[in-house]
Amino acid sequence: MNYLLFAPEFTLTAVAFAVLGVDLFLPRDKKGYLPALSVVGLIGVFVLSLRYLWGRDTDLYDGLFLIDNFSLFFKAFFLVLGVMVVLSSVDYVKKHLSRPGEYYGILIFSILAMMLMAASGELLTAYISLELLSFSLYVLVSYGRHGLKPSEAGVKYILLGAFASALLLYGISQVYGMLGTTRFDEIHAALLLEGTPLNPAVLVGLVLIIAGLGFKVAVVPFHMWAPDVYEGAPTPVTAYLAVGSKAAAFALILRLFSQAFMPAFDDWQIILVILAALTMTVGNLVAMAQQNIKRMLAYSSIGQVGYLLMGVAALSPLASNGVILHLVGYGGTNLLAFMCVIVFYNATNKEEIADFAGLADRSPFVAMAMSAALLSLAGLPFFAGFTTKFYLFTAAADGGLLWLVGLAITNSLISLYYYMMVMKQMYMVPADDNTPLNVSMFSCGVLGMLLAGVIIIGVYPGPLVNAIQAATKAILP
Amino acid sequence: MIFEGAAWAIFLLPLASFVVISLFVRPFLNQYEKYSGYLTILAIGAAFVLSIWALGSVLGNEGEIGWEAHSWLAIGNLEISLGILMDPLTAILLIVVTSVSLAVQVYSQGYMRGDPSYSRYFAFMSLFTASMLGLVLARNIVQLYAFWELVGLSSYLLIGFWYNRPAAAAAAKKAFLVTRLGDVGFLLGILYLFFNKEAFLSQGLNPFEIADINLIAHGGEVAGVQIIALGSGVATWVAVGIFAGAVGKSAQFPLHVWLPDAMEGPTPVSALIHAATMVVAGVFLVARFFPLFESSTTAMNIVAVIGGFTAIFAATMGLVMNDIKRVLAYSTVSQLGYMMLALGVGAYEAAIFHLFNHAFFKALLFLGAGSVNHASGTFNMQYMGGLKRYMPRTYVTFLIAAVSISGIFPLAGFWSKDEILVGAWNHGGTIGQLVFWMALVAAFMTAFYIFRALFLTFHGEFRGGVDAENGSQSGGHGVHLAESPWVMVAPMMVLAVPAVVSGFLANPLNTAWGLGIVPTHWFSKLLGNVEFISVHPEPMNLVMAFGSTVVALAGIGLAYLMYYAHKVSPEKVAAAIRPAYNAAFCKYYFDDLYEDWITRRGFYKGVAQSTDWVDRNIIDRIGVGIGFLGRNVGQVIGMLENGQVQAYGAGMSIGILVILVVFSIWN
Repeated sequence: MNYLLFAPEFTLTAVAFAVLGVDLFLPRDKKGYLPALSVVGLIGVFVLSLRYLWGRDTDLYDGLFLIDNFSLFFKAFFLVLGVMVVLSSVDYVKKHLSRPGEYYGILIFSILAMMLMAASGELLTAYISLELLSFSLYVLVSYGRHGLKPSEAGVKYILLGAFASALLLYGISQVYGMLGTTRFDEIHAALLLEGTPLNPAVLVGLVLIIAGLGFKVAVVPFHMWAPDVYEGAPTPVTAYLAVGSKAAAFALILRLFSQAFMPAFDDWQIILVILAALTMTVGNLVAMAQQNIKRMLAYSSIGQVGYLLMGVAALSPLASNGVILHLVGYGGTNLLAFMCVIVFYNATNKEEIADFAGLADRSPFVAMAMSAALLSLAGLPFFAGFTTKFYLFTAAADGGLLWLVGLAITNSLISLYYYMMVMKQMYMVPADDNTPLNVSMFSCGVLGMLLAGVIIIGVYPGPLVNAIQAATKAILP
Repeated sequence: MIFEGAAWAIFLLPLASFVVISLFVRPFLNQYEKYSGYLTILAIGAAFVLSIWALGSVLGNEGEIGWEAHSWLAIGNLEISLGILMDPLTAILLIVVTSVSLAVQVYSQGYMRGDPSYSRYFAFMSLFTASMLGLVLARNIVQLYAFWELVGLSSYLLIGFWYNRPAAAAAAKKAFLVTRLGDVGFLLGILYLFFNKEAFLSQGLNPFEIADINLIAHGGEVAGVQIIALGSGVATWVAVGIFAGAVGKSAQFPLHVWLPDAMEGPTPVSALIHAATMVVAGVFLVARFFPLFESSTTAMNIVAVIGGFTAIFAATMGLVMNDIKRVLAYSTVSQLGYMMLALGVGAYEAAIFHLFNHAFFKALLFLGAGSVNHASGTFNMQYMGGLKRYMPRTYVTFLIAAVSISGIFPLAGFWSKDEILVGAWNHGGTIGQLVFWMALVAAFMTAFYIFRALFLTFHGEFRGGVDAENGSQSGGHGVHLAESPWVMVAPMMVLAVPAVVSGFLANPLNTAWGLGIVPTHWFSKLLGNVEFISVHPEPMNLVMAFGSTVVALAGIGLAYLMYYAHKVSPEKVAAAIRPAYNAAFCKYYFDDLYEDWITRRGFYKGVAQSTDWVDRNIIDRIGVGIGFLGRNVGQVIGMLENGQVQAYGAGMSIGILVILVVFSIWN
């Protein structure tokens, strides 16, 4: 067995420990080196992964880990995401959080967990990677030091997360009990052998697995934790939750359903269709009623999960491309939106939608970036949101879910309404306090990078789509 | 003959102007902001010259100039391409957009002088012009849709240009959301095409290419190949979806509500976007997919009836408005209805011809309103009057445009209106008869309201302008009774020329008594070169011409009696038809219905807030009631003071149970 194929994971673990270790020796005023070290480490692993794993198709530990283009794509995506999250945390951590060493260290561990999730080819490995991710996130969510909100969010997340993990484990045990294996390819073979109709016990297992993973990505009705946790967590962590942990869970879902459960497609499609319809509608409707910007973005991302789930429900190579593309496009856009919230919070310590009043006068650039993010989330052309949504919706329509696509388009219209309420605050309502917002050049640079990314994906998606097609080919040939 | 790079430059030049102004001039060189205006004029002027070249090439080529498509994105085995579709329809629209935009940009130099956001204004104007040109040039329906949205976005930015005014910001949002409502249909239409892609792919066609859509809708034998047409059901649904987008953008009933409010934007913006270009995008869209519409009688009838009804419905509201820009806005809605009804009865060339003529005289009317506002400080005609004495040049150009829109021989409006009436009459049947009479009544109303506006604004005694309107608290602008500066008047004079003569391009007269320079049916024959379009140029129908002129003169005469000679008191007329008057004055309560009842009470309070409530409370109660997670956990989280965690856990469990139950029933 070639352990070198695991080099990116080993290196990343080393980076995490390095960050924790260096932290011990850095004086308080030199902690700024930690994010720099993290970024260098993440970029190093990124380069290493691409150079070393490109085009490989093999497995490790007898099929527990799969080294293919799918896992490579997500590795690269998570590492880039990690860099962006670290960069957007810098000012926030300096201002609002203590112990930056643990913050960045745990963040890197969670990226490691996501990389393992996308690569796992077996249910228990996937479960353990998921738990590593969850435990890192439990800590990060309760990292805030002010007031009860962060601890409340953390406790809620732990308790419900444990409940969801139990469901998932029970589901796995059902599947193992009936089919005698936890490896994806063997499940696939066993299901083919079994034929239809599906054994009820396997079905129960499948539903429990859907519920457990549905919790992680906040599918209605397993979504209730999300707004509370999003609101209470430090904002960079919220952004990370909304983008990173969701993308990792969808990577696992895509691989699981295409490589393991595909033979039972007719059985589970209807579940996902109903959940998708419910998720996008509830998410967008409830978002309209929110007063807090983080809660609103939480519900809006629940709505986005509905679109993504629709793609999984129409699972085909085309739909898988659409889901991955939308994960990337929506992820970048959401990071941009949250970065604006972070910048705003750093300067004002406020995060209600009403507080954004007059932002256009206080900081035209931040207001413009936020507007771009919101318009992209609503799916306006020339931003990432349009291109990725269009791809996803056509793929779903191609899979025969035309009515669900109609519902999704209607939901996009509803979402435009509440996004514009925020824009109305920024541009139309005068501010109580008209002092210009204090935004560091560094934050402006991060905003500019994200904004450029959102526009590039929107205008010139070709190379990204090619990479995604290569990734999909690994799971759905 | 024009080459592809030059055609792209038509779109890229204004885009470059937007990028340069917003990335360089505004942040770094704001003290040189007057160069933003010059840069915009230069870019659009060059685009105008290139557009003339394009039209000349299309004329020389007698039809479409074929260029390669460039691949943008592949969805599975399907390419979405980018590229230019250069045919006579495109060329005509290019001329309209660039020429009106050029005139408006020159005018804006005067109108926007001293505005604190001068550069931002020209940046947005450049962006709008670029996106409108991109829309017109698109060869692919997805490309067209993208620019369609971008046009909507730049319109949003320009309506809300003075975003510190609540009315402007609200109007911008309303315009954006209402037009997007129509776009839901448009996007669904596109996806429905994709859904039926096999019908295209099996014949080597692409369901996103505009030319291919029209080809398959046309069916029959084309260039020696037998094309199997789309099923009529599919064609109808796609056409209806596309038309929904057109209804939103062109402010047709029932999505007409946004256009009058959009008048909150700067007046040159109204002239360019909400009179001459963006609002005709809907008409252009239907014309672009005309073979598709023609293949479905249902779709055609829907277009005709919606158009005819809008023409008359909007005109009634134009009769009673006091704000000059709102009169013009309802007039625009009504005229767009005219174009739609012409398309619906198959009078393709008449619709495009009216679009062409209308762009010039309506832009001129709006610029006139802006000029009047420059002097009086208000848009309320009740506080104007007598301005003819102070602004003779504005008066003359406004008069020319008013006569033109009323449809008086020999000005531009006469020719195209006449063609539409003839088209409706010849179409025959119930639909043809219905829309013909609608159009004729609307013609009467048009003449009446436009001359009512003219008399109230320019004749009689001056009634105090903005000072009288605001009482003592008039600030800032103030009354300044004088002709507007040349930079504003000159573009109006230039636009007055096509308002008089553009009608001759149709030249429906016999060769025997022709007009010399313009060949008979020149415009129709030009459009006849559009792929799969057959035009039926009609010789001039003297009875119709005479009849419609009489109707228009009657409208003008009535306006004269009421508002110039004061022989008939407007108040008494209003009192005599009080309920109808009030209904029209209150815009038939559509704003209340949409905003208050449907959006606020029905949707926001009713659906959204109750979903939120259920989300937070019902499941909560159930959870507490069942005490699902047991006491131990309850004690652990007792410090959280509420039962949310149990409730959420219970919600999840119930969710799983429901899925299982539904699922076992399903199988």
